[in-house]
Amino acid sequence: MGENLTIDSTVTCDVLVIGAGGAGLRAAAYIGEQRPGTKIIALTKVVSPQKSHTTTAQGGMAAVDPKDPIDKPIFHMFDTWKGSDCSADQNVIKKVCELGWEEMVWLERHGMHFSRTEEKRIAKRPFGGHMLNFGETKAFRACYEASRTGKGIMDTVWNESLKHGVTFIGQCVATELLFKEDTCVGAIIFRFPDGTFSAILAKTTIVATGGNAKMYLVTSNCRGNTGDGLALTLDAGLPVMDLEAVQFHPTGMVGPGILASEALRGEGAILRNKDEEPFMERYAPTAKDLAPRDLISRAIITEFREGRGLFHEGHKAHHVWLDLRHLPKEVHEKKIQEVSSFFKRFVGVDPEKDLCPVTPTAHYQMGGIPTNEFGEVQKDPQTIVPGLFACGEVATASLHGLNRLGTNSLLELITMGRVIGDKVVEHLKDAPEPEGPPSDAGHIVFNQFSTYLASQGTESFAKIRDTLQNLMMEKVGIFRTEKHLLEAIEKLKELREKAQHIPIGTTSLKANQNLWQIWELNNLITVSMVIAHGALARKESRGAHFREDYPERSAEFDYHTFVYMPEFDKITFGKRPIDMSIFEAKGEHFELFDYIERKY
Amino acid sequence: MPDTYNITLEISRYDPESHLSWVQTYQVEAGGILRFVDVFRKINDEQDPTLAWASSCEHAQCGSCGIMVNGKPLLACELLVREAVDQFNTHTFRIKPITIAPVLRDLVVDLEKAYDRVHAAKPYLMKPAPAPPEGDEYRISPETLETYVEATQCINCFCCATACISSHHHFLGPNAMMSNIVRLMDPRETEKKERMDLLYGESGVYRCHTARACSFVCPKEIDISHFLALGKEGKF
Ligand SMILES: Cc1cc2nc3c(=O)[nH]c(=O)nc-3n(C[C@H](O)[C@H](O)[C@H](O)COP(=O)(O)OP(=O)(O)OC[C@H]3O[C@@H](n4cnc5c(N)ncnc54)[C@H](O)[C@@H]3O)c2cc1C
Ligand code: SF4
Ligand code: SF4
Ligand code: FES
Repeated sequence: MGENLTIDSTVTCDVLVIGAGGAGLRAAAYIGEQRPGTKIIALTKVVSPQKSHTTTAQGGMAAVDPKDPIDKPIFHMFDTWKGSDCSADQNVIKKVCELGWEEMVWLERHGMHFSRTEEKRIAKRPFGGHMLNFGETKAFRACYEASRTGKGIMDTVWNESLKHGVTFIGQCVATELLFKEDTCVGAIIFRFPDGTFSAILAKTTIVATGGNAKMYLVTSNCRGNTGDGLALTLDAGLPVMDLEAVQFHPTGMVGPGILASEALRGEGAILRNKDEEPFMERYAPTAKDLAPRDLISRAIITEFREGRGLFHEGHKAHHVWLDLRHLPKEVHEKKIQEVSSFFKRFVGVDPEKDLCPVTPTAHYQMGGIPTNEFGEVQKDPQTIVPGLFACGEVATASLHGLNRLGTNSLLELITMGRVIGDKVVEHLKDAPEPEGPPSDAGHIVFNQFSTYLASQGTESFAKIRDTLQNLMMEKVGIFRTEKHLLEAIEKLKELREKAQHIPIGTTSLKANQNLWQIWELNNLITVSMVIAHGALARKESRGAHFREDYPERSAEFDYHTFVYMPEFDKITFGKRPIDMSIFEAKGEHFELFDYIERKY
Repeated sequence: MPDTYNITLEISRYDPESHLSWVQTYQVEAGGILRFVDVFRKINDEQDPTLAWASSCEHAQCGSCGIMVNGKPLLACELLVREAVDQFNTHTFRIKPITIAPVLRDLVVDLEKAYDRVHAAKPYLMKPAPAPPEGDEYRISPETLETYVEATQCINCFCCATACISSHHHFLGPNAMMSNIVRLMDPRETEKKERMDLLYGESGVYRCHTARACSFVCPKEIDISHFLALGKEGKF
């Protein structure tokens, strides 16, 4: 198999960034700035890095100015630890929270158009789970650019990368990681426009391919978030970590699941059930509508189950209301203008006058490629893979553990992007020139592509996709049970088999969207399998992972789950301890960084 | 309420292998609330897996999905079937790729090439002002920001450039030129000379005839021609 497919060209560089989103390009910009002349190539599936999914992030990016008289980095660290349900790594929490403000200033000084206060400073707003004085009252911590914070960040890191001469290759996918012995030496890419394969050989490779929630029917994720980076990593025999931790954002717009940012609730929006009762008061008496996402998503599903939800006829979906009617006109027009316009455009309601229908939407992958606190990819908890780094949503260091607080992801992208940049600059000092591609280069992708291209089968792409998306939503979603997870795993095996027999529309390699999507669908099935197995193994409830048959957190599971799946359904597990270094340092307030109870 | 429509899409197709172009007609029964990207997906699912079309965010935030519908450049992810029927007063839609870059297949154009124009406008701060004496971020008042913030919302969908009669050959194009103007208005940029050269050079703002087609089609409702007019006046 694969005899007709060949590597059409070979390119060499110092740094290959697989995924030119916020995280990947923060690293690239840093390297370009610190080490002029470094040859950096950054890949993206879309036409320009500017169109990466980071650009759609709305609400804000958390960062505490160490000089702030009210807020303190230690409160931020505590919130992140508590929000993670005691499963994030404290060395990473400390590093990221301490670096946040510096990075915020970097972005601003490099041209980001933050919203401003009357004092001409960067404007900040409250966000779920971010509190002052260890959980007392809401903190103004999320720095924002109207409801376009992600766009501001994406534009800035893209611009800076451009300025420092980074080469962008758009409309391509990395399809296989390349190794010589244990060292990563680059990747094979497939280019959409002309259908050619290139080997890109690099001294350093950074995987930053973003999220993967497209296996869920209702999701805030973009079309290309199909878990490619995770699938590539698994194919290479490397582990992924904590994939069972999938975040459902409580307020997706009914229908496609477009995000209605938490910033809305930060500005004062209230969730209401069918009786228009502000039900979050019952579930989280202190934090109410600004409780963390996992808690609110479960509250909404509970409202549905107990008959207090509503049903949207047009979209045939259950929902609750988000009430924005009482917010000042000024807020509607200036601070949340974009999101408001989405409701008008995509749902046909006017948030100034009408209640808005919302439902939980699959939003964020807390787990990912395991790295140490420097972004170096791990092959087991003690060993790193030379030459390979990962950052952004696809990676897990882990700042979020099993649950992420809003605005902490953008923060992670830019801080960890820079941390990795630092490491890479150091690594480049004595990294050897890449020689030719390894002799077996292409064996994985050529196998896959030739199967898809040769398929004479009768399976329907749409049917497999729809079945997958419904299955994951129902059985591997917000509430999970052993029975459902086992059913899901069986079904996934079936879907995987079927996905090898989808008839191809055209065998031309040029701009063949059909081929590209079949490859993506297979990645989604692969990643879904790992999510389901991880969820089955974690017989407890923690953060976003909720098992109805094991509804409590259990000390037995105070660790990260490593999963290896070099071949489909050939699973092995590993464990990584949770880093407790803040607690162990026994500094001020250390006792709050123990395995504490999580109440809002 | 039964909110379905029987619509006819006449889609321009192009096959990069044979270099053949043709128009293909698809009949689709679609819910009024579907976006045009959903309709294309429906065609892929039910009728023709080979039809190629572009999108990413699918909620008007990234500018990947520009197409021409009955002569108007717009975002396919933002146009609902119900509104299309109202707005164009028809059930038949002639759909073409946007004209700003070469077609790769069907409705997918090589926007990577179009982006060269934006790169040429150097959208970054070329020479940032010295760090603010008070430390931390530059101090910018909400009033100053307000004068140019609208232009920063551009997502480079190239709808304006497609509509612009001047932009194909000599003019860098409305969106690219606007990104230069944003930095001229940005108090943090000190490289004014090179920016002014860009503004008034060979491919500069004098190529614009102020016909305002750009402002009319912009899905982000940016008044592009207002910013270009500021550019012509050189008042920042
Ligand atoms: C709607 C929405 C709103 C959000 N709002 C917030 C917020 O307010 N605050 C916050 O902190 N977080 C927010 N998040 C989360 C946050 O935006 C994301 O986690 C983050 O932007 C991911 O950034 P990234 O750089 O890891 O990936 P991305 O920006 O998604 O970039 C990934 C890049 O990798 C490329 N890529 C993928 N696969 C391949 C491949 N096989 N080959 C080559 N390239 C590939 C993609 O094309 C893209 O260029 C939001 C998320 C969503 C979806
Ligand atoms: S100015 Fe408007 S129409 Fe033009 S590229 Fe930007 S967003 Fe698109
Ligand atoms: S106003 Fe200028 S930029 Fe806008 S469409 Fe007309 S000629 Fe083009
Ligand atoms: S797909 Fe992003 S704007 Fe249409």
